[in-house]
Amino acid sequence: MNASVRNAAPRRLTGAGLALGRGLAAGLLALGLIQPSAAVLPNDPMASVQALPATISPHWVWVNDIVFSHMANGKAMLVDGDNGRFLGELDVGFGSMHVVLSLDGKVIFSPETYFSRGTRGDRTDVVTLYDPVHLAPIGEIVIPPKRSSNMPMMANATLTDDGRFLLIYNFTPAQSISVVDTRSRTFAGEIDTPGCALTYPTGARSFFSVCADGTLLDVRLDESGHATSQQRTAQMFQVQRDPVTEKAVRVRDTWYFVSYDGMLYPINISKSGLTPGPTWSLLSAADTAQKWRPGGLQQLAAQAGLNRLYSIMHQGPRDTHKDPGKEVWVYDLARHARIQKIAMKNDSGSIQVTHDAHPLLFSAFIESNILDVYDASSGAYLRSVKDIGTTPTVLVTP
Amino acid sequence: MSWLDTLAETSARSMAKRTSRRSLLASLGALLVGATALPLLPVARGAQTGKPGGTKAAQPAGINDPTSCDYWRHCAIDGYLCGCCGGSQSACPPGTEMSAVTWVGTCHNPLEGKDYVVSYNDCCGKTSCGRCFCNRNERDTPLYIPFQSNDYNWCSGSSKANVPYHCSTARIVSLAK
Repeated sequence: MNASVRNAAPRRLTGAGLALGRGLAAGLLALGLIQPSAAVLPNDPMASVQALPATISPHWVWVNDIVFSHMANGKAMLVDGDNGRFLGELDVGFGSMHVVLSLDGKVIFSPETYFSRGTRGDRTDVVTLYDPVHLAPIGEIVIPPKRSSNMPMMANATLTDDGRFLLIYNFTPAQSISVVDTRSRTFAGEIDTPGCALTYPTGARSFFSVCADGTLLDVRLDESGHATSQQRTAQMFQVQRDPVTEKAVRVRDTWYFVSYDGMLYPINISKSGLTPGPTWSLLSAADTAQKWRPGGLQQLAAQAGLNRLYSIMHQGPRDTHKDPGKEVWVYDLARHARIQKIAMKNDSGSIQVTHDAHPLLFSAFIESNILDVYDASSGAYLRSVKDIGTTPTVLVTP
Repeated sequence: MSWLDTLAETSARSMAKRTSRRSLLASLGALLVGATALPLLPVARGAQTGKPGGTKAAQPAGINDPTSCDYWRHCAIDGYLCGCCGGSQSACPPGTEMSAVTWVGTCHNPLEGKDYVVSYNDCCGKTSCGRCFCNRNERDTPLYIPFQSNDYNWCSGSSKANVPYHCSTARIVSLAK
């Protein structure tokens, strides 16, 4: 195509056009803006396709997009937080949630839904495996066509702590978890979780789901990915008075849930089970009086190295628990104390951090397509990346 | 026109700041299967906006317009309004299928001064309509309380059309008691 365009172009030039071009070149020469040279630019190669480095940068982020106005065309976009470069994307089918990165960085898992005739016909749900260097599919695992279609949450699909099993939340509206063995790359089985939703890993062979009555369903797995026990805990959350959101984050052996009114509920993981830690509020009395509260779609982030929690904050009444905010408040998890307020460049509905020694903080909002990048340690604004999809949802970092 | 543009046009209640996709469950209620079980429901926000005897000037302009987000039946809706998509507030657009499983809300009709149980059945089987997005998201609960959560796609309960979501209706199913 390049060659044909190059050959065709002179034939379309008129005499006047050629004279104008020659005159322009002479003028630029006279001004010293171009140098006469006998050399010509080399031909570009045909069929050139970029590849990514074999080693993933800890500062890359996957921006997942449900593409709400065209839900059959979900996609996930990869951006380098260090320079804002758009590195590539994956097409991930109908009602996409988010990609899941293998622990060794060598495979990208993507739970996906397809119909044989676009938005009709036979439904097939798969976990597609992508090569992270070429962003191309390298395999797929068929799973039951039950994958939940909902606003994307990180707990829609998670890996067990050793990366062996991929856990995918189903809603038909019967609730269950599909278990995929990432080692054999096969569907391992389905675990019914009636009354309980989503997946929160707690070890190499365990996870919990959150139940409608405020208890947790503690599920233990065997080496084949089948459930060996399912135990309900005592009630952990006040689901009617002030429910916690399902947007929890984890630091080592503690999951942190936050309530609509800003109360933090730690859930500690031990071999004997799940136990509640002391709750504490993200809001002072003055904050509450000024109607500050947490909100957003991916409203919390946690950086284990810094032992910090990040929470999107806005001012609003009850029932604004999904509103975006223009501030992110930062907490020291050891001292249960707020240590910083970050003024956000744009509305923030989703935040995520990187997990290296010099972490970045990413921010996006479903109603814009801007990705903002901050220094997670200092809170300093670094850059914005525009035109990232149409309805970005949750952010995934290695 | 994009969802965002449509949203900006149709939303008059700061709904543009919501991130919820679906608010079918904004009022307390129970799972409705085939419109056979209608619980008594508390009156939702829409009922609080126009009590009998209230002045007409207090009502939003679109209070009786099925294509408006302010339509009285939309007190607990979140999605594209079927009235803008070739259907109506009570009928799906041609070629789609109405979901059997959904949530109900209770809305106040200020024109009559009565409260109605409204079922927000989704219309399924085609891609998103993309017109007249409306989000009135109150009393919404997290995904682990499904039948009060606005974040599910309720086409999930559709046996034939399956999960492709097109738009949402707002059907009257009974007078609230």
